[in-house]
Amino acid sequence: MSGSGEKPVLIVDGKRLDGRLPGDIRPSRIEANVLKNAAGSAYIEWGNNKIMAAVYGPSEALPKHTSNPERAVIKCRYQMAPFSSLEEHGRSGPNRRSIEISKVIKEVFENAIITENFPGSEINIYVEVLQGDGGTRAAGVTAAAVAVAASGIPMTDLPYGVSIGKIGDQIVIDLNKIEDNYSDADVPIVISPRTGRILLLQMDGDMTKDEINRGIRMAADAGKMISKMQSDALKKQYMEISEKYKNEAPSYTPQAQK
Amino acid sequence: MQRIVVPGEKLEDKPLRIDEAFTEDGKTYSTIMSVYDEERKVLTPLEGMWYPRMGDQVVGVVAEDKLSVYFIDLNSPYKGLIFAKDCNDDLMAGDIIEASVKELDKTKTAILTRPRKLFGGKILYVNPAKIPRILGKGNTMIRQLTQLTQSSITVGLNGLVWIKGGKVDLATEAIVTIQQEAHTAGLTNRIKALLETGK
Amino acid sequence: MKTTITGEYIKEMLAKDMREDARKLLEYRDITIRIGTIPNAEGSAEANIGNTKVLAGVKLGVGEPMPDKPNEGNLMASAELLPLAAESFDVGPPTPEAIELARVTDRGIRAAGVVDLSKLFIEKDKVWNVFIDVYVLNYDGNLFDASALAAQAALSSCRMPKYDAAAETVIREGDLGRLPLANMVVSSTFGIMSDKIILDPNANEELFIDSRLTISTDGNNIRAMQKGLGGSGFTPKQVDTMMDVTLERSKDLRSMIKKSIGE
Repeated sequence: MSGSGEKPVLIVDGKRLDGRLPGDIRPSRIEANVLKNAAGSAYIEWGNNKIMAAVYGPSEALPKHTSNPERAVIKCRYQMAPFSSLEEHGRSGPNRRSIEISKVIKEVFENAIITENFPGSEINIYVEVLQGDGGTRAAGVTAAAVAVAASGIPMTDLPYGVSIGKIGDQIVIDLNKIEDNYSDADVPIVISPRTGRILLLQMDGDMTKDEINRGIRMAADAGKMISKMQSDALKKQYMEISEKYKNEAPSYTPQAQK
Repeated sequence: MQRIVVPGEKLEDKPLRIDEAFTEDGKTYSTIMSVYDEERKVLTPLEGMWYPRMGDQVVGVVAEDKLSVYFIDLNSPYKGLIFAKDCNDDLMAGDIIEASVKELDKTKTAILTRPRKLFGGKILYVNPAKIPRILGKGNTMIRQLTQLTQSSITVGLNGLVWIKGGKVDLATEAIVTIQQEAHTAGLTNRIKALLETGK
Repeated sequence: MKTTITGEYIKEMLAKDMREDARKLLEYRDITIRIGTIPNAEGSAEANIGNTKVLAGVKLGVGEPMPDKPNEGNLMASAELLPLAAESFDVGPPTPEAIELARVTDRGIRAAGVVDLSKLFIEKDKVWNVFIDVYVLNYDGNLFDASALAAQAALSSCRMPKYDAAAETVIREGDLGRLPLANMVVSSTFGIMSDKIILDPNANEELFIDSRLTISTDGNNIRAMQKGLGGSGFTPKQVDTMMDVTLERSKDLRSMIKKSIGE
């Protein structure tokens, strides 16, 4: 929505500039547990977005006045690297945009994490955008959910993010940077796939009520693929080791004692 | 039939009481990465953390020395506390101790008792969910480890494993392998082979 | 797997010339370098030394020259110890450690004349600014050598954008040349403990070493040094030994960078 100059043609014969149909997401992959020190981590490549997410904790909430005796507090920082854009070198440090995005991501995880299990503690979630190409908060949430799950922190669901938009009279999902710059609307959303509830919803632009409803349905349809990608990334390391030894005689497993 | 499940994944179409699971609208879902045994209706966590429980034997690192009390890092959301009067050794930040949980205060801080300083050696931070596997049934695995490496090994239920002397590198390798392969078949035999052929 | 060691254990091992991760005293951990990991940046590289993981990104922009060097481009290096890299790294303004890392990285590149700044003149009052950002993704000791490797590999593989004077825009894509370089720099970092010298200290060792020394070299001469951590320092003979080891190891490090950029 910030594009200047002449607006490029973004959809030709129903196909987008990168060949996608309106309801297609960009090719993506997720890898879990890529960083050694973090309790859990995930790296996501979502189109040209490259994002690292990691979680630390739960640990004692500090400073003390930030702690909540009923539940864990979630702290989140989203940041874009100074070299993440194809344009100018960016400024480092927080800005109004990154502080707002950090807040809305935090609120997603306050819902998904079972915070009442850890009264008085804090959980830190970090989302570092190494390369950005539109939709970084959605991809960041998708990666952060994998990082939290990989850390063993209990959650009621694995939320995922995707954006909805409008290009001309066409409703599309997962806008890349160019599409975002020249679209008529951009609506990042995060969905909890188990319940279908929407945990993050922002919008700026111009869409009808019906168009937004249609966009949300398209996002939820694409979400099945995103959920599978998250789940596969989490299970992969265990599956590979299990597969390797599947023909050996079963030995003691802790629950057999009961 | 056993399957690996992620948080929010459905376990049963009916409401069942299962540890680390929750029920909603008449169905049962997992809250963490785990192996679900469909016959026995049991979830075994693949990742997890340790919460202080009365009576648990733990290994910790002294974080702060506050004259009358020591705060202990237990690799948990909650820290441990030792009253200096309960302690024969003079402790300093960085020292390693073994102790047991006597009680929990209202902020879930674990009050530790019978502390014993562990001199030298090193600590491995093991995923607490894998500690039962490192101990083995009736402590068979840890006994085998100690015998075949000649190392002193102290296992804390909070996931800290202290090793000193003997074949430290071999003991470390065996523990790393157990942690990585805890959910697989034939582990006990593979560890035995590793320890017997190891240098 | 995360480990913690006691000073006593490290000293026992050192007395036998051994280290906790089974390395020799003057041995590096496994090193890998990958270039081009961030295609949006003009240059980028990830360097791993054991579990230490550092990403460097290079961006170019048009700016004004320094008053005392009107015909030269500018170079700026920054470093961020990201809070996802270690429990002890916090959110907030750069710490003295982050600033030291940035300045040591910057000094090595500047002192060795790695970037040919004289070729970065565009027109009167317009030169290229070269921004190097070091991003620490996972900390396990010796950030200095990892940053030097990542920054050098990112520069060695850096595209040179074009300036369209008529439109006053920078062209960053398409058929571009390489950033003009005049040299290559690598560093070796040592720790001293119980009067023994160890190369490439890991995070556990960094807790117990007495003094630290980072030596940057272009392969022939010494180009920058930084002593760190306080402690009782070194004897001249120890410094001599560390310079020898640095020059020797620089052959491998330089060939690793060359290999990563396909030379």
